[in-house]
Amino acid sequence: MITFRVGDLAGILGVHRNTVTNWIRSRALPAQPGVGKKYFIEEEAIRAFLSGKNLPEEAVEAFLNQAVLTMNRNLPAPSGQGKDRGMEKTTPTGSVLVVGGGIAGIQATLDLAESGYRVHLVEKSAGIGGRMAQLDKTFPTNDCAM
Amino acid sequence: MTLSQVVSVAGNAGNYTVKVRRSPRYVDMDKCIACGLCAEKCPRPVADEFNEGVNNRKAIYIKYGQSVPLKYAIDPNACIYLTRGKCRACEKFCPTGAINFEDKAEIVELKVGAVVLAPGYQPYDPSGEDYYGYDSIADVVTSLEYERLLSASGPCMGHLMRPSDNREPKRIAWLQCVGSRNTNRCSNGYCSSVCCMYAVKQALVTAEHTHGDELSQTIFFMDLRSHGKEFERYYEDAKAKGVRFIRARPHTIDPLRGGSGVRMRYTTEDGRQMEEDFDLAVLSVGMEATQDNKALAGIFDFSLDSYGFAQTAASNPVRVNDGVFVAGALHAPKAIPHAVTEASAAANEAARLLSEAKGALAVEKTYPDERDVTQEEPRVGVFVCSCGINIAGVIDVNAVVEYAKGLDHVAFVENNLFTCSADTQVLIRQKAEEMNLNRIVVAACTPRTHEPLFQETLKEAGLNAYLVEMANIRNQNSWVHQKEPEKATEKAKDQVRMAVVKAVRNKALTRLKVDVNQKALVIGGGVAGMTSALSLAEQGFPVVLLEREDRLGGNASHVSATDFGDSVPPMLKDMIKKVEGHPDIAVHTNARLKTAVGSVGNFVSKFETHGETRAVTYGAAVIATGAKESIPDEYGFGSDPRIHTHLSFDKLMQAEVSTVQKADTVAFIQCVGSRDSRRPYCSRICCTHTMKAAVKLKTLNRAMQVVVFYRDIRTYGLREELYRKARELGVLFVRYSPDDKPQVRTTPEGVMVRGLDPISRFTLEIEADYLVLAAAVEPHGNEELVELYKCGANADGFLNEAHPKLRPVDMSVDGLFVAGLCNYPKPMDEAISQAQAAAARAAVVLSRKEMLLDAIKSYVTEHCDGCALCVDVCPYRAIRLQESTGEDGRMHRMVQVDPALCKGCGVCAATCPKDGVRVHGFTKEQIKAQVASALESLSGGRA
Repeated sequence: MITFRVGDLAGILGVHRNTVTNWIRSRALPAQPGVGKKYFIEEEAIRAFLSGKNLPEEAVEAFLNQAVLTMNRNLPAPSGQGKDRGMEKTTPTGSVLVVGGGIAGIQATLDLAESGYRVHLVEKSAGIGGRMAQLDKTFPTNDCAM
Repeated sequence: MTLSQVVSVAGNAGNYTVKVRRSPRYVDMDKCIACGLCAEKCPRPVADEFNEGVNNRKAIYIKYGQSVPLKYAIDPNACIYLTRGKCRACEKFCPTGAINFEDKAEIVELKVGAVVLAPGYQPYDPSGEDYYGYDSIADVVTSLEYERLLSASGPCMGHLMRPSDNREPKRIAWLQCVGSRNTNRCSNGYCSSVCCMYAVKQALVTAEHTHGDELSQTIFFMDLRSHGKEFERYYEDAKAKGVRFIRARPHTIDPLRGGSGVRMRYTTEDGRQMEEDFDLAVLSVGMEATQDNKALAGIFDFSLDSYGFAQTAASNPVRVNDGVFVAGALHAPKAIPHAVTEASAAANEAARLLSEAKGALAVEKTYPDERDVTQEEPRVGVFVCSCGINIAGVIDVNAVVEYAKGLDHVAFVENNLFTCSADTQVLIRQKAEEMNLNRIVVAACTPRTHEPLFQETLKEAGLNAYLVEMANIRNQNSWVHQKEPEKATEKAKDQVRMAVVKAVRNKALTRLKVDVNQKALVIGGGVAGMTSALSLAEQGFPVVLLEREDRLGGNASHVSATDFGDSVPPMLKDMIKKVEGHPDIAVHTNARLKTAVGSVGNFVSKFETHGETRAVTYGAAVIATGAKESIPDEYGFGSDPRIHTHLSFDKLMQAEVSTVQKADTVAFIQCVGSRDSRRPYCSRICCTHTMKAAVKLKTLNRAMQVVVFYRDIRTYGLREELYRKARELGVLFVRYSPDDKPQVRTTPEGVMVRGLDPISRFTLEIEADYLVLAAAVEPHGNEELVELYKCGANADGFLNEAHPKLRPVDMSVDGLFVAGLCNYPKPMDEAISQAQAAAARAAVVLSRKEMLLDAIKSYVTEHCDGCALCVDVCPYRAIRLQESTGEDGRMHRMVQVDPALCKGCGVCAATCPKDGVRVHGFTKEQIKAQVASALESLSGGRA
């Protein structure tokens, strides 16, 4: 999977951004929408698509390099992978392990789940709630802790 | 996954394979209905760890009544069958056949991209400390045990009893710093940072749990550390309510004759030997790192400090390793809001790492189809909550239940200990189905906190979420009428009756969908604002960043090192470079926000930058406008160049270190402008700032005399180390009281500071080369934002969060999030984690392409004649006047409501003279019915 921006692809093909969006909508270009104006696509699929457009080889490579870079910008410390496209590219797994089912673990779990990640919450004891569940009330509002 | 622990991990950030060992529960989770018969029949009692061993549970147990999941488990170390091979009583009595002794431990393999660790803390165990007498004296309990004694769901059902004779204690003493700030009997040199406040809270809450007027609460402390938002007021309130605060450490605790109560001996500050008897002593135990920390550090490869807390860098306080993030007490003792903030921050860091795979594995929750109830006769189910003793302690809930049974349309009534608990939700669903209920009334607490929960339950039961109605018999009744239980019960009946007549008239409503503008606005270009901006941009959301000054950096540009010694300038430089270089961040300096309209998902603002006005549209905003050091107006500040504030002295130390280090004496005065009548809050950072400066001075020149005049030293958490270091280096600390502040006069030789040393009772005067005033931190520019967004600020001018414990970065206006010093003074590491948390919370809003709005909105009826009275009164500018030409060629005027802006406040409906505009869920018909019902009790019983 690589990430690209609609504008970048429209730029090298010399078409309007909406044209590219229309191709994606009509499935002529098999890309999946991401966040913002970014889309995901299999590298083979985008190569096959571009090969039909009679573009010079360099333009295609330049676009793909740029597309890969867009992706890596989101990855801290890419440790050499990705930039060298000869190597196998890895997409991160869209799930997170949360260890501890106290108030902190629960909050992290909720935030991640609500932002579109699958979360595995691991708790040592038989139920979640942690220390806060043991409290009667909390300062400074004296709200019930439960 | 419960009863589970991580065993090992393989792989790299982004792609881990984690092995988790799931211990056997011996109960089939699908079959268990939590009826509790097993525990009733189980012959083996075990000390209940949830209640801190105050009472017993059985070998088959649930942790507590509201436990999630609400499924029993068998404790294999206690179960008679599992330890000795005989019994199986639970299996015999279980009505669903859920007991499974064949259950085996299994290793589950999980593929995850990132890990968040939040194992928590363990309370310090005072066993073995002879002078506290915890082992030998029944009436010495730890604070967590006391918390359970107070709790309505605890072993005493909220009726406080001391362990020795089950009588209600009247004279209660709290001992602070048990297992904290102590390197003598234990090796916990740090401050646990929460005990002062929980002790004050327990002292205040105790008054609600006891009867009569003889109660006396005494807190023995070293420094009272109320360094959080609204904490100082809480402390002052406790003093005003008669809680006694004594600065002393009792050295001997003996049992009283007869086996109940304790005798304490302590020395007051002025050297008097005191002896006093108490009915109960509470040890305010500190937080310790859990044993799990070591195991987790080994598995996930990160380092721990000497106390066993995880080590992190100030630039990213929640990261311990690529892809491994921490939250809560794992890396320092901390209070709930800070832990919750860090949890969101850790979620943010995980999301940043995995943004590319967002949504790939998410699953949507599905609900059954909604049943159409329009043709059905209303059948109301009423659930009356006891809220432990919160309601049932005042109101006769059974009488309310009996009363509700007689009301029209009521088909089912029940009382629950906690109607909000997970098991009650199951029950509500079951009853709705069994009894064919189509309206639900919950008589409990406030819809503000709990209505969403019950709406969810209705949806799961196939009913429209708006068919639930709440009667607030706690906040509006039992809490305010504690002294008049009978009248309170009558009022509760009225409230239930009113809720029922309204519920009968509730209609199914549909929530409106709106598109979300997936862009963010960040106001403030300090460390907090920049952190939020970077976090959001790296998750793929375009950000507009506004900074009031002509450069980024904020207060951090005046700071050289964090509290834990990390150097700030390189970190700041790097951060500014990243922000300015990021293609998705548009930075505007010299910018001021001018307007703000719209609501969550769709805001529009205008701002001025370098003389031109620009517009920005965004779905969510992070406010991080910071705060500033106040200018002192006492101790001769401004009259002499040798009198400094922290920031000006820091600057001097950097610019002229060779001159400063030649000084013979430097004096510091704490709480300058803080904790007084003008600013009745603690500025939180100044004690640590003084320690940093004092330690630096002493390191430059060991012979230098450094004297600190203080009220309470508040180096909370691991910052206590700096205080200890300062004392080790010979810094002198002289306490002063606010009624007897140090006197300052200037002479050509030096700045003379005079104060009374409370221990020797001598007045001392020192001649200082420099006097440094720890000036208060004060908010700036928040009023404008409050005005623009209609968000809240507290009495001190700091922006308010939606809930001080559980929603510490959300603001009262949806879609707005707060980070950094504009919320409350805080050190840089806390500002950064709060900014990360704000980004995470904003990302929750921005991740969705469209969102659902509340269905409580106003709508226009055919009665509207366009008089436009409502247009002027609408506080959200949601109503416009629309003119159109009808078929007859005549001009028609009608108002139009923008549902995205409407908050359903009802001002329009109240203003309209002709029923031209109504609010869904609060129609005139519904309100009239409620009023008529309320008046029934006045006209002598039911009409």
